[in-house]
Amino acid sequence: MSASTSVSSPTMPTWAVQLKNPPPCRSKQPGIPDPPGFPSSQTPTSSKKKDAKDSKAAQRQAPTPEEMDTLKLKKAWEVALGPIKSLPMTAIMMYMSGNSLQIFSIMMVFMAFKNPIMGILATNQAFERFETETNRARMLQVKIAYVAMQLVALALGIWKVNKMGLLPTTRSDWLAWEERREPLEHAVPAL
Amino acid sequence: MHTPSTVLRTVLPSLLLLPLLPSPAAAVFRDEVGHIDYHHRLLGLPQRETTFFHRPRRDDRASLLYTLTDAAVVGAVNPGTGEVVWRQPLTAFSSSGNASAAGAGDGAGGFLRAAEGEGWVVSAYGDAVHAWDAISGRSRFQSALGGTGGRVVDLEVMEMTESGEARKDVLALFEEAAAAAGSTVLRRLSAADGSVVWEFREVTRDVPLQVSTNLDKVFLVSLRGTPGAYSLKVGILDPVTGKKVDEVVLGGKGEDLAGKEDVVLVGANSAAPIVGWTDAAKKTLWVNVLGSKTRHPFPLADDTVSVEIHAPHLVQSRPHFLVHTRTATGHRGQVFHIDLKTHTVTQAYGLPHLAGPGAFSTSSDGANVYFTRITEDEVILLSSQSHGVLARWPLKAKGDAALHGVSEVLRKPGAEDSYAVRAAAVTDADDWVLIRNGETAWTRPEGLSGAVAAAFAEIPEDEDLARSLEHEAHGNPWEAYLHRVRRHLNDLRYLPAWLESIPARFMSSVLGADVAPAAAGGKLVRDSFGFRKLAILATRRGMVYGLDVGNKGGILWRTRAFKMPRGLRWDVKGIQVHDGTARATLLGAHNDFVVLRVDTGEILEAKGPSPQATTQATALVNTASGTRLIRIGRGGKIGELPADQAPRQTVVTRGPDGELRGVVFVADGATARETTSWTFSPPAGYRIVHVATRSAHEAVASIGRVLGDRTVLYKYLNPNTLVAAAVNDATRTLAVYLLDTVSGQILASARHPGVDPSKAIECALSENWFACTFFGRYPLRDDPAQSLQGYQIVVSDLYESDVPNDRGPLGDPASSRSAGYSAVGPVDDPTGRVPLPAVVSQAYILSAPLAALQTTQTRQGIASRQLLAYLPETRGLAAIPRVVLDPRRPVGRDPTPAEVEEGLIRYHPALEIDPRSVVSHEWDVLGVDKIETVPAVVESTCLVLAYGSVDVFGTRVTPSFLFDILGKGFNKASLVTTVAALGVGVVLLAPMVRRKQINMRWKAPL
Repeated sequence: MSASTSVSSPTMPTWAVQLKNPPPCRSKQPGIPDPPGFPSSQTPTSSKKKDAKDSKAAQRQAPTPEEMDTLKLKKAWEVALGPIKSLPMTAIMMYMSGNSLQIFSIMMVFMAFKNPIMGILATNQAFERFETETNRARMLQVKIAYVAMQLVALALGIWKVNKMGLLPTTRSDWLAWEERREPLEHAVPAL
Repeated sequence: MHTPSTVLRTVLPSLLLLPLLPSPAAAVFRDEVGHIDYHHRLLGLPQRETTFFHRPRRDDRASLLYTLTDAAVVGAVNPGTGEVVWRQPLTAFSSSGNASAAGAGDGAGGFLRAAEGEGWVVSAYGDAVHAWDAISGRSRFQSALGGTGGRVVDLEVMEMTESGEARKDVLALFEEAAAAAGSTVLRRLSAADGSVVWEFREVTRDVPLQVSTNLDKVFLVSLRGTPGAYSLKVGILDPVTGKKVDEVVLGGKGEDLAGKEDVVLVGANSAAPIVGWTDAAKKTLWVNVLGSKTRHPFPLADDTVSVEIHAPHLVQSRPHFLVHTRTATGHRGQVFHIDLKTHTVTQAYGLPHLAGPGAFSTSSDGANVYFTRITEDEVILLSSQSHGVLARWPLKAKGDAALHGVSEVLRKPGAEDSYAVRAAAVTDADDWVLIRNGETAWTRPEGLSGAVAAAFAEIPEDEDLARSLEHEAHGNPWEAYLHRVRRHLNDLRYLPAWLESIPARFMSSVLGADVAPAAAGGKLVRDSFGFRKLAILATRRGMVYGLDVGNKGGILWRTRAFKMPRGLRWDVKGIQVHDGTARATLLGAHNDFVVLRVDTGEILEAKGPSPQATTQATALVNTASGTRLIRIGRGGKIGELPADQAPRQTVVTRGPDGELRGVVFVADGATARETTSWTFSPPAGYRIVHVATRSAHEAVASIGRVLGDRTVLYKYLNPNTLVAAAVNDATRTLAVYLLDTVSGQILASARHPGVDPSKAIECALSENWFACTFFGRYPLRDDPAQSLQGYQIVVSDLYESDVPNDRGPLGDPASSRSAGYSAVGPVDDPTGRVPLPAVVSQAYILSAPLAALQTTQTRQGIASRQLLAYLPETRGLAAIPRVVLDPRRPVGRDPTPAEVEEGLIRYHPALEIDPRSVVSHEWDVLGVDKIETVPAVVESTCLVLAYGSVDVFGTRVTPSFLFDILGKGFNKASLVTTVAALGVGVVLLAPMVRRKQINMRWKAPL
């Protein structure tokens, strides 16, 4: 066995060749089930198509690391710009929900704050899978853009809170801390 | 088209504001009646001459007890229960009395008569005669003398029926004022409609005294001569025409009559009317049977103090009468018989002298006349025929001595000599008691009427606790902590008792009693909400009452501070309650004072009134030696005080001409002299009619008012302000001044033309606003030809500046170097400008007059305020919300959304008193002169006590609703039941669930 494999291909062991080019799938014998985990048992109907695809993919050229980086960067930009895509919808919903304190608007405001903050905290995790040794510098731009987008979403939440009158920005909010004018003299009526 | 959001925006704020608007929740709930409020429905103290039993229906033996009291209230009381059947104040109808219905007559006098077998009673007060339906109390007719200055001297019902007209007419004797030639007018008024049947007028200098009738004559008794040497003149008139038939003059030559006080008025309509009088030394009693010329002298005992004659009031009764003589130590009676043919008077028998004041009363049953004698320990029934005692009952409840009374004797039909007597007597503790066969059937606390001053007091805590708390407050922290730990360990011995009390407390809490009932020992305990307080009430008759506010206003104790002489009122000028020592000090106008314990009423120290009124007012001032109540003498003089007792504040007093003065004390060695620091005199022609001050402890939660756009208008919160209302009688102008009481500066003023100065003008001042109410005629601004007329209320708000977010000319106290400001500083500085507040005012026309204005007070001032006022015409207590009286209400347009957010509603000139804002709801509260408020422990609630010449009413008001405790509407019982049922359910279901879960685990999954 080992001799024949060494003959056919000196660089690759036989098992590796077989793994790369698996023998064509024989037509299924009726009554004999495939063993568990066998690909055909999972998707018996699409097995043929898949085979065709697989064979195509196999034939396609593997992308170069540069291409890979570009792809990953593209993907990362998509993720980074994700928050802003939902912003118009959120803004309309916030506008519609009114400025009163109700369970709906309270939940909304809570989410409007929670999502960006959680997003900013999880920035690195979000881009972990796109990050490689080579595109790290370019990835930093993406991350900054991502944080900026989250901040825009946060600003929307703050705008909403302000609309609801929850930001202590006016004189009346600090009224309780203002001093009362105390008279130095006192008088007592005796009438 | 509205987008949903704009709809939301416009609708939501108004929805949020709904609770701010006067809503049905402002009304008193039915289940709160008698729970949060109490009402002493009083008549006043019955007078001897004007109290009687009377059968309102001819064919019904049931009788009512009618009285005209010293508070000038005529009323009927059910003798079975002591409930008031009806009552009518007479001061409101008397044109000579002052305009306010609450102008209580002091020792009112007046007359009340009823005709046997008729369904009406007739009263006379001032210059008016008024007939009332005996059952319903509705007015039948009213008749006044007319003219000026007249008054009714006597009133009688003619006990006879003429041929043709079967009615009993009313005889009213008037005396016109000396200015109107001093004439005597006797009128016969038709009982049907009050029209004058005939009038007899006599212009003499005589003093008319009494009118009496027998079957065929009318006798007019008057005094002739000069003071000190009077003789008695009896004019005999024909009852049909009113012409004078004859005249008899009795006595004279200075031997008998010194004045009209010596005439013993009988006021009776018997077969043989009499008149009696004594000489000045009370040695002899003279009796004359009217119509005859003879006088019958009867010697009186040496120590006689006063003499009264009791005679039957019916024509068919035997002509017997009883002379009741009071001595310093006791009383005795003598019974006399009149011979109708010869008009001679003979003494039938005498009754022994017994100790105590005693009370006699007459009752007649057909021809029989009975005398009831109430002594200190028994009730004795006598017949007028002989001195044999018909019946005798020992008094079960020995208490206060009866002063005078009326009685009704029933002869039981079955037994021969079996009688039942019910006697209504006024005791010397100002109670009205009905004694039925020796047993007290009911007691009416009529002495509560005529209240002149009141104050709230806390229920005293344990004195040890108060002392140790004081100790802890002043010791060093570590020792105080140890002391506290020791005290708490010591308190553990009360733990079992406390644990025992838990079930009872729990039950009372579940059943909705927010004030714990008195413990078994009757010990007064404070409640956690602060609803249970004591109200100390001083009356003009010299009594002091302690009311338990939390327990339906029940009388806890009553103490006679002074025995007031007749015609003199106890004028209490100030009450200081010291909660730490549980003492109250009452200062009177006549240099008198009383110090008593607030929980028992025990008098610790007292000084009787002197003949001269020396005190004009009192003031609670801070001195070097603590807080003191000082007297202000007449004309605003205080005089020198020891330096450690001199007030540190400016004292504002009224000067001799009614001007306002600010007085400061300047130390001069060991004494301090008073120095006038400012004087405020109204302009010429004006007189100050009312001065409103703020209450001593006023909590204000917020120093600014937040507007709709969240900017702030800063309130002008100057505690040293007062509002003086001055009126010019000639030009009918009212001037309202806001004064700084330290510098005397006028901070704001307003003039209102067309004000009626004879009607009450009142102001109230609180927080940063004041309100004045008056009756005025108001020319319209856009059409001066038209005018509005009515009771008005003008409300003014004071702000530091009229620009939002601006602290006014004085600037922000935080940024300026000194936090305080001096009111006299700018005045002393020649270039200084007095910082004036910005004033916003609005006027409203009221649907009813208001009196006794007062504002609610809460503990921290967070709850909104209400203006409390007495409604004299509808006899209720109204609580007008501040939102309604807001001077910032937009005029002539709907409020903008920002204004809606601020809580402003569109201005409407007419202010209807919403019946839901009447906190006395359907109760008829009569004669309120003053309203006292005090905050409870919970922020939402304010305790109110209204008192005055007649009624006492108290309640709790919640201006911003009951937001901090559960109301009675919260069903605690169902909550507890639900929780208990759930608990039981869980206990029962738990084993079942567990079994099921175990079974599930063991069952094979198929």
